[in-house]
Amino acid sequence: MDTCGSPPPVKRNRKSPTDNEEDCMGIRAVLSDEYNEIALIKVHSCQLETKKQLQSVIQELSQKLPRLQHLKRVHDRNVLICATSEIGDAETLEEHLKRYAFSANVLQALCHQVKVVEVPARMPKLRVQYEQMMQHWPCKFHPNHYSESLRNGSNFSISQRVFHKRMAQLLVQLSRDVNKDRPVGICVDPRQTRIVSIAGASETYGHEHCSMLLVDFVARSQQGGALRSELSFVEDQENAETTLRGLPKAYYDYLKENEAYQDLQFGAEMSRKGQPQQQVMLDSKHGQGGDNLSKYGPYLCTGYDVYLLQEPCLMCSMALVHSRAKRIFFLRPSDNGALVTRFQLHAVKELNHHYEVFQFTTDGSLT
Amino acid sequence: MATFMEEALVEARRARDAGEVPVGCVFVHEDKVIARGANEVNVYRNATRHAEFICIDATLAYCREKSLPARQMFSEIIVVVTVEPCIMCSAALHTLGVKEIIFGCENDRFGGKTVVDVGAVVGQRIKITGGVRADEAMALLKEFYKGDNPAAPTVAKKKKL
Repeated sequence: MDTCGSPPPVKRNRKSPTDNEEDCMGIRAVLSDEYNEIALIKVHSCQLETKKQLQSVIQELSQKLPRLQHLKRVHDRNVLICATSEIGDAETLEEHLKRYAFSANVLQALCHQVKVVEVPARMPKLRVQYEQMMQHWPCKFHPNHYSESLRNGSNFSISQRVFHKRMAQLLVQLSRDVNKDRPVGICVDPRQTRIVSIAGASETYGHEHCSMLLVDFVARSQQGGALRSELSFVEDQENAETTLRGLPKAYYDYLKENEAYQDLQFGAEMSRKGQPQQQVMLDSKHGQGGDNLSKYGPYLCTGYDVYLLQEPCLMCSMALVHSRAKRIFFLRPSDNGALVTRFQLHAVKELNHHYEVFQFTTDGSLT
Repeated sequence: MATFMEEALVEARRARDAGEVPVGCVFVHEDKVIARGANEVNVYRNATRHAEFICIDATLAYCREKSLPARQMFSEIIVVVTVEPCIMCSAALHTLGVKEIIFGCENDRFGGKTVVDVGAVVGQRIKITGGVRADEAMALLKEFYKGDNPAAPTVAKKKKL
């Protein structure tokens, strides 16, 4: 063991799934490139003449050039100094290092047998990446059970998976039977798996895509909603505990009249606006930790899942970020899609909210 | 364009007075303002009701009323907005194919130019100019974010990096 430490051992009892197995499960997480690629950077390294130099070299390097934290600094007497990109065009490595006031013997050691090596650009997210990166240069790795489960599909229980796939099926049917084959979307409160809102796009030109309508219909369930829709919406009965105001009547009636959907639950938690903020845990099963929906009540699409027939475009994808949706599930890729096809909006780090994205890999006709 | 930016700033101040994030916008067609709007997110509980969208809807209504072809109308519109359009608004404006966008201060949290190159994703290039009376637009935002957004639930503040 050297000073950088090696990653803790991880039980390897689960084989990585083949593509075939992924398809069988019907849903795949759309992970950012950080989970897929093995990015490499070029770094200057030197070779120590004796092991005695090790301690002083490492000590000064970690103080003066503290980057490359995700890598082991030393490997077979080779020491990583700094990325080649950090050094200006008109500068040699030695000139660059002199700016950091290394002691004379360390500077000499760092300039001995210098070469450029390719090393991992960042810490691996998944074990499979770790194993590949290790072939380039030893790196650190913090195994994350949830990340691994997203990749191999074990993040969903069987009953959750059944529900998600049922929503995919519902999207196909609602589009065909109620919305003339145009896109539809469903918003679900996953705590009690209640359908909060359903929306279908009507026009081809303009900006009233189904995600834009959906977030506005969710707003209706919170005594908001800006669009002056010609649709009629479900009214709430007196003393109802949840609200159906986010549901257009056409979709609601279709589902209520359909034998196969009698077990579906509808309604959003009532907005707590205007009431003193209570620290109520609505559902202790899911309410543990920082679940803002349970803690503070409905606010935009916080904590809600959104199911879409079509991959959303950039406008819609960002609308769902603004609305703070928890997870996006979609069935069909779109030519202008911004989660897989043209872009991965959810992988943009600068954004102030990030949702998870899942794509159905079955066509929705399967149960 | 300075006079149009003043009109957008008037809208932004109106938003501030209504307790909304102070961003204002006007759509200019043949040197005439045909639509004006300010953020209406909190009042409608809809995070997509940005000033630009208010103007888009007003323009569509204007076209319906005057029986004008909307697609052509948008291609002749100059968007003047106090803050760089966000990724959502920028995507909408690119897709609708407006002629030009002029904005005040940058939006480094989710700007449709600063954070993501929306033109490249949408596959449509339009002329975008920033920095017009940026200080005034930024001052409005800073003033607003000193107080809290009244519609947001009280959530623990993120730690500064």
